[in-house]
This record gives sequence, C-alpha cells and structure tokens, in this order.
Amino acid sequence: MKRVRGMVLWVATFLLMVVMCVPGLWVILSAFRPNREILAKPPVWVPETLTLDNFGKIFGWGAEQIAIPVGSYFLNSMVIALTSTVIALGIGMAGGYAFARFRFRGKNSVFLGLMLLRTVPGIALSLPVFMLWSRLGIIDTKLGLIIVYVSLNVPFTIWLIDGFFRQIPLSLSEAAQVDGCTRWQAFWKIEFPLAKSGIASAGVFAFLTSWNEFALASQLTRSTDSKTLPVGLLDFTAQFTIDWAGMCAMAVIIIVPALILTFLVQKHLIAGLTFGGVKG
Amino acid sequence: MIRALTTRRTDLAPFLLLLPAVAVMLFVVALPLLFSLWTSLTPYKLTKPASLYVFIGADNYLRLLSDPAFWVPFGRTVLFLTIALNLEFALGLGIALLINQITWGQRGLRTIMMFPMMFSPILVGFQFKFIFNDNIGILNNALQSLGITDQAIPWLVDGWLAMASILFAEMWMSTSVFAILLLAGLFAMPRDPVEAARVDGCNPWQVFRHITLPFLMPFAFIAMTIRSLDVARAYDIVKVMTGGGPAGRTELLWTLIARTGYENAQMGKANAMAYISTLLSIAFTVYFYRKLMAARRFMGGVQ
Amino acid sequence: MAEITLTGVEKRYGALRVVHGIDLTIAQGEFVVLVGPSGCGKSTTLRMIAGLEDISGGQVRIGGRVVNDLPPRKRNISMVFQNYALYPHMNVRDNLGFGLKIAGQTPDMIAKRVDEAAQILGLADLLDRTPAELSGGQRQRVAMGRAIVRHPDAFLFDEPLSNLDAKLRGQMRAEIKKLHQQVKTTVVYVTHDQVEAMTLADRIVVMRDGQIEQVGTPMQVFNHPANIFVATFIGSPPMNLLPGTISGGAVRLADGSAVPVPPRLTGRAAEGQAVTLGIRADDISPVGHGLSQDGPGAELDLSVVLAEPLGMESLIYTRVAGQEVQAKLYGPRLVNPGDRLTFRLALDRAHLFDAASGRSLEAI
Repeated sequence: MKRVRGMVLWVATFLLMVVMCVPGLWVILSAFRPNREILAKPPVWVPETLTLDNFGKIFGWGAEQIAIPVGSYFLNSMVIALTSTVIALGIGMAGGYAFARFRFRGKNSVFLGLMLLRTVPGIALSLPVFMLWSRLGIIDTKLGLIIVYVSLNVPFTIWLIDGFFRQIPLSLSEAAQVDGCTRWQAFWKIEFPLAKSGIASAGVFAFLTSWNEFALASQLTRSTDSKTLPVGLLDFTAQFTIDWAGMCAMAVIIIVPALILTFLVQKHLIAGLTFGGVKG
Repeated sequence: MIRALTTRRTDLAPFLLLLPAVAVMLFVVALPLLFSLWTSLTPYKLTKPASLYVFIGADNYLRLLSDPAFWVPFGRTVLFLTIALNLEFALGLGIALLINQITWGQRGLRTIMMFPMMFSPILVGFQFKFIFNDNIGILNNALQSLGITDQAIPWLVDGWLAMASILFAEMWMSTSVFAILLLAGLFAMPRDPVEAARVDGCNPWQVFRHITLPFLMPFAFIAMTIRSLDVARAYDIVKVMTGGGPAGRTELLWTLIARTGYENAQMGKANAMAYISTLLSIAFTVYFYRKLMAARRFMGGVQ
Repeated sequence: MAEITLTGVEKRYGALRVVHGIDLTIAQGEFVVLVGPSGCGKSTTLRMIAGLEDISGGQVRIGGRVVNDLPPRKRNISMVFQNYALYPHMNVRDNLGFGLKIAGQTPDMIAKRVDEAAQILGLADLLDRTPAELSGGQRQRVAMGRAIVRHPDAFLFDEPLSNLDAKLRGQMRAEIKKLHQQVKTTVVYVTHDQVEAMTLADRIVVMRDGQIEQVGTPMQVFNHPANIFVATFIGSPPMNLLPGTISGGAVRLADGSAVPVPPRLTGRAAEGQAVTLGIRADDISPVGHGLSQDGPGAELDLSVVLAEPLGMESLIYTRVAGQEVQAKLYGPRLVNPGDRLTFRLALDRAHLFDAASGRSLEAI
C-alpha cells in the first residue's frame, strides 16, 4: 500500500516536471535545429542535426544572415538592466533600511503607497510616460528606459531588503555602536555584510524584471540604439514568414543570463520573499 | 519586549533615507499618472496635438461605460484574472503538498520548479505560440503522431481555444510563484499542532483543512500580493500569442489600451482605459494586501 | 572606571511616559542591579545610560561628564545584550577585538587585550570558532569578553542570563560575580529575576511602572521592604499578605482573629487604621520547627491544606482568615493535608503596610 502510494506520488511528480520543463526545453532544443527540421511534415522527433547556425545567423557571423541587430539589442538590454538594477539597489537599500530600522509617522501608508505605485500596469504607465518622455527628449533612449525601470524595481527591492534587514537583530547594530562605531560604520561593518546575500538576490530580482520587461520597452524604444531583447524578439514576427529557429535562438539568448542568475541566488530569493512578507 | 526601534535624535534619518525612493516614484509614476488623468479628460489624439488642451470632462469615461467594445474586454480581463489566480493557487498548493511528501530530491525539484519564473512573459508567449502552432507546434504534432486526432487543432485560431491556451501559458508562468511560497510555508510549519490534531482525532483531511491550510494562508496571500503587483504581464503573453485576435476574442483590457492609444492614436480614450485598468490593479493589490495583514495578525506574526 | 549619576531621568514616547524621573547614583566600582517586572522601565533606563535611547528629560553623567547628547561610542561603556549580539560573520577573536579595531588600536595591542580577556573567561581554545559553533554558555562568555577587552568605564548588562537554562544560569551568575571582583568596574545590571538581583548586587534598585520603588543592599531590600510591591517582588515564595485593621494593639484580620502588632512597630499604627500584615513563609512555622524560636511571637492553630516536602524543609499551604498562606516547616518531618498544627509567627520579622498607600509603617 505504501509502495503504491509512493509510486503514484513519483509518477504524478514526474508528469508535473514534464509539463513544467518540456515547453522551455523544446524551445531551447529548437534553437539548435535547422528551420527545415522544425517545419518538417511529418515531424522529426529526434533531432538529426544540431547546429549553431541559428546563432550565427542572428549575430551575423554565418553565411546566412538576417537583418536583426541582436548584438546591439543584447548590449542595450545589458546596459539598461545593469544600470537600473544598481540604481534601484542603492535607493532600495536606503529605503529598506528605513522601513526595517526606524519608526516614523505614516510608515505603513508610505509602504503601501510605494507598492500601489508599482501595480500600475506597464501598458497603462507607458501612455503618459511616452508623451512626457517625448517632451523631455528622452524617448527612445537608454536613459529613458533606465529611469522607468528604476521606478519599476524600487518598491519590490525595498520590500525584499526590508525583510532581510529585519532578520538581523537590532542589537547587533547597537552592540557595534557601543563598541565604538558610528551608525554608518555599524551599517557597513555589521548589517550590510549580514544582509549581503539577501541584497544580492534582490538585485537579481531587479535585474530580471528589467531584463524581461516588454510592455514599456516596446513603446518607449524604437531604434537599434535603445531596443531591448524582448522587444527585438518581435522583429521576427514582422517578417513575412516566422523564422522559428531564429526566434528560438534569440529566446535562448534571453533566457540564459536569467537562468544563471536565478540559480545562483534561488535559496536567498525564497527566504527573502517569505520572511519579508510573513514576519511583518 | 515591545520597544521602539532606536529613536535617536536622528528623527530625520528615515525620511532622508526614503527620499530617493519617494522622489523616483513620484517623478516616474505619480507625475505621469496625473498627466494621464488630465489626458483622459481630453479628446487628445496623437495626430492632433492641439486636442490635448480641450477639456471634455468625464466624456471619455462616460463613453467607455456605455461601450460594449470596452466592457467585454474588461469583463474578460476580470474573469481571466479570477480564474488564473484561483487555478494557480489550487495548482500551486497541490504541487507544494506533493513535493512536501517526496523525501528524495526535494531540493532539485524545487529548483526545477523555479524554471518558469525566469522566463520573460514575452518569451512565455512566444514559447506557447510555438508549441500551440496548429501546423508545426509540438502539441499538434504529438496528438497527430499518437493518433488522438488526425486534424490539426486550431489552438490559437479558435476563440475559446485561444483563450484557454493563453490561460495555460499564464498559469505555466505563474503557478511556480504559488508553489514555491506555499512550499516554504510547509517547510516552516511547526509539527506540534499537526500532531496535536491527530491525537485529538482529526483525520488527514481535517488536519489539512483546520491546521495546515490556515497556517499556509499568509504565504498564499504573499504570493497573491506579489502576483497582483504584476498581473498586467499577461499583456505580453497575449500580445505575442494572438495579438488580441481572432476578431478581438482574446482582447484583454491591456491589449485594448495599446491598440487604442498607439495604433488608433486615441490617447485621451486610451488614458481613460488605462486609468480604469490601474484602479483594477490597485483593487486587486489592496484586497490581497489587507488579507495578508489580517492573516499575519491572526498568526501573531506582527512583532 | 567611573561613577554614574542619573538625575530626574525621563523617557517619553509621545504622551506615554515609560520612565518617570529617576534619581540614582552608582558609585565607582559598584555592582548595581535594576530589577522589576517586565515593562517597568529598567531596560529603557539602561539603554538611556548606554545611549541607545534618547533621554527625554533629566541628565545622565558618567564619570562627571554629562553624556545626554553623546552617541554610545563616545560614552566609553560596554554592554552585554540579552541575545548576546555576537557578530555572526566574525570568529570569536574578531568579535572580541572589534571594538579595539574600530578605535584604531594596533594589531599587537588588540591581540594582547584579546588574549587577556580570553584568559580571564576561559575562551582561549575557542578563538577561531564562529558564534554559530558555540554553546549558549560560551556565547555568553564571548559577549562578556567583548565587554571587558575595551577596559570601559562601566559594564551594562541587559538580562544577560535569561536565554540560558537554569543550571547554566547559576554557573554564569557566579562567573559574572567573580569577573566583577577581578576587574572591579562599575556594573549596571538589568534583570527581572530577583534571585539574580539578590546574589549579584551590591545594591538593588527595585523598579515598577517607570519609577524606583526602593534602593538598598540586598539585605535591606529583603529585610525592610519599603512597600507591598517590594515585599512581594523580592523573596520566594512571595511574602504572605493579610488585610486587617488596627484595634487595641493588635491587627484584627477579616475573620476576627487577632495578631499582635509587632513590638518594633507599636505606636506607628493608628487605632482603626486599615493595614496589611506581611510575613514571609520562613517566618510562619509549626512550633518547634521554625528558624528562630526566641523573640516575640504569636501562635495560631491552622490546618494543613497541602504540603510540599522539599527534603530538609517542607512548604505548607494553609489558610488564615480565609486567605491562602504559605508556611515553612524546617526539619525532615512529614505532614499530611488535614493535619491541625500550632504555627508560630515570628513577629519581629513581620511587616505592616498602610493598606491605602501600600507603604511600610517602618521608618527606613
């Protein structure tokens, strides 16, 4: 009986994992297959050829090339995501520390207010930002998108970092101050090192948000100099026939940095989400 | 002991620390929202710049309220969110309970579970557009190879199927958020109450219903709150998978806004819709946030 | 080493006052224990001395210097926290040396001081461990070591033993006392445990609701409690309290029985005054089984409700004038519920408190 139950559990979990992983894995696999194999009828199940041609094609080193500047998009995405993450982390650390360590009037309202400003749907926000940025002359620039992404990341970064600082007993900072530190020193020598991994995971979260964002980027960027990878992905659909293999290759380029980063900090990420939220 | 956190003479400190955050949010979100509010009270069209200065009161809103072309996508959006969030919760709970039972390779399973969370919504859309493609998609290929159907099923072409496909994509992307947080809740759950309930004569279902589930609710509400901050990402999925089609059958509020504002250049009307969608998001967030607060108080988690 | 003086020290959170004007002078090298129930303001007072809380009113002086506006680091004090507050990311050596390093001492000097402290506290073998690898008692010792390396003007202890189990607590109590005898630094020690207060203190400060109820040596506070609160807070089991009225040189209890006014207090209680008679369990004993047989006494026939034999003594629950009273029987003798015995009250160790104000009628 117990054995049967174990088997059932195992099979159920296995099926679940299949559903979870197969779509993504299929896309990744297809990135290494020639387009004719993807389009073949009847379908070719076991790949006959694996090739890097699709990547060569979109990066422009193969014989066959397509007119999508993926290299620029990748660079834009990196610059925009990294810059906005660093800025959001700085702002979020200050804010998170304020929430974790100080009592002040209107604390809960400010917190909720920040969160609510985060809920504005990207597409809804894009309308006025599109008009305002046009007037300010920062439409279709990396700067314009960086500013927006900072605001997108600040509230959640604050939430996470607040949670991480709360887990550090207040008495550690106090002990350091009694031991001769200024509050500033106590922060950098004691609290920051202890919250470091948590802050890093908040940073990864912010990076992923910027890296993956589409709704705002698709309206606020137009040119090769500012378009990000998610927006660039749509370049393919504008063509007469969809280049599935090329799109899959681009998908891999988008997903790989995200995969690596998330796996690096997954433990802290879960801890941050739950402790920050449950233990108010 | 309840004690004021250090209230030193540095009473200004928290405000200084929060200043950058508040400033950014005001400048990048609140200010545009005000501008958006004004625009929504004008007949502004991108093609007629002067129309930005014509005040027409609540005309846009009134017209939307009586327009089925707005109401149908609006209703569809609310329905979509309700179904998606509930299914994601139920499924996430199931997965969390399942993985909690498994003794071997739990960590690995949890890691695999995070896989969909890393996917950009636009990628999720593309991925399922690829998989649900009626001609070359793996799903139809598989169904046909297995002889379940000899016709290609038009997953993204038929209205209902398309909506279901979008729902599936949305759930694929977001169920892990629930599963992971609920699993963390299960890990954090003290054993004593469960054992006490068993000794008191509860059957497994009663233990789950009266002990486990209430304990998990704050975790569920965190997941809901996190999700509700970001419900509008479904826009990306729809945009790629169907673009709102066929014939508007998968149009959600957000795709409608984009179409009205950018394709039809009716900024005034689009901003009015955007305002309504913002209020919808805020309503979802506030609702779950309050539930979270209540659950925390119930758990005695407020310290 | 320095004297610490508090004058009219107050703490307010908005309209809420948690410390109401405390006056206290702690002599150089003295071990003073602030004791009281939770929420009495003892920790807040300590934290104001440390500089971790703003002082809302009054003055704190350490070594003659007013420190009200000085941050903790400029007060030259050190503190042991309830949860030890060891820096988790540093090993024991770095924990001990942290304060000196911040102060810019040379590595040689730091090493010397750390070794010295490790020697005193028996930490020499643990210097390379991290706090996570230490037992509760060891962590406690590291926290104390961190306090002594800096040779501060005063040590502040905030309920340092409350996270330890009973046995370890006894041990550490002795170590703290030894440490103080060795380094002779001024100590302010906060606890809610009256046993710690009695055993450690040169002087005890009993606090309640943000006010000082009594200051005195452990024996003064035990033998001459200033009021009902102190009487019941200090000593275990708590002092028995019996309401009554002064009538004809005796305290007439609720059931009409009378206990003579203790001779040292005659003339201090007015006829007809409502009073509370206080007497410790140790001072009510079956005749022939008490601590002291001489001195004035009063005898009462009482029946045993419950007896808890503890070996050489038994704690007896009985009733006087309808109220539960605890008594002590000295000697290994068994008594049973229902036994009727004659108890002797040692009147020279009984106390009278004014029923209205709760103040002792004794002049202190």
